Amino acid sequence: MKRKKPKGLDFIVDKLTNSIENTSTGEVFDTEIVKFTIKDIAQIKKSGWVFDWTKELNDKSKKVYKLTTTNNPTIIQGLLSIEDKQDHIFMHLIESAKFNKGKNKIYFGVPGNLVAFACKISVDKGYEGFVAFDAKTDLIKHYEHSLGATHFRGLRMFIQTNAAIKLISQYFKS
Amino acid sequence: MGLIKEPKDVDFTVKSEPWTEEELADFRKLMKEIKSKKNKLRLSLTKSKRKKDLV
Repeated sequence: MKRKKPKGLDFIVDKLTNSIENTSTGEVFDTEIVKFTIKDIAQIKKSGWVFDWTKELNDKSKKVYKLTTTNNPTIIQGLLSIEDKQDHIFMHLIESAKFNKGKNKIYFGVPGNLVAFACKISVDKGYEGFVAFDAKTDLIKHYEHSLGATHFRGLRMFIQTNAAIKLISQYFKS
Repeated sequence: MGLIKEPKDVDFTVKSEPWTEEELADFRKLMKEIKSKKNKLRLSLTKSKRKKDLV
């Protein structure tokens, strides 16, 4: 199938500044989202992650990004795998680091931050913020409320322009 | 504006399965409808603003 040329501006997003919040102190830390490449694979231990991120990195149709704090770029807080569908962004995987999961998670805002980043890419590519993904059944309502996502059918969900702009403005300072 | 704080006992994880061609086609149709509605609204707001400016 012939691929359509992306509408609007098309530039490489290599770094964006945003933040996450320490769950116990409330302290906010500036973060960066940068491309996660095969060279960075040593930064993650397989046992610390549920999904197979090496597989994601080897899939040429996908791009993987890592979220770190600006002060400590070697500790990965969360990972995101996305695909450019030419008229929207498809989120394949989002996973927070082991220490950002469960009742004792260290930081709030890791997944929201990564979703906002996917929305930002969608806007930058001229897709008006549209991002599609699947949700677990018990999280559909949560995503509707917290992200402003729209339930499409079954487990399928998407984020449309207004919700995307809201997320971007919540997370990205510029 | 503050950050979106997921509840402590909720882990926001996404693991999407590939969408079928039919699902993608339906989604693209819906996107088109949403975008067209948005553009119509924008157009009508511009028209009413222009009318106001003329008065």
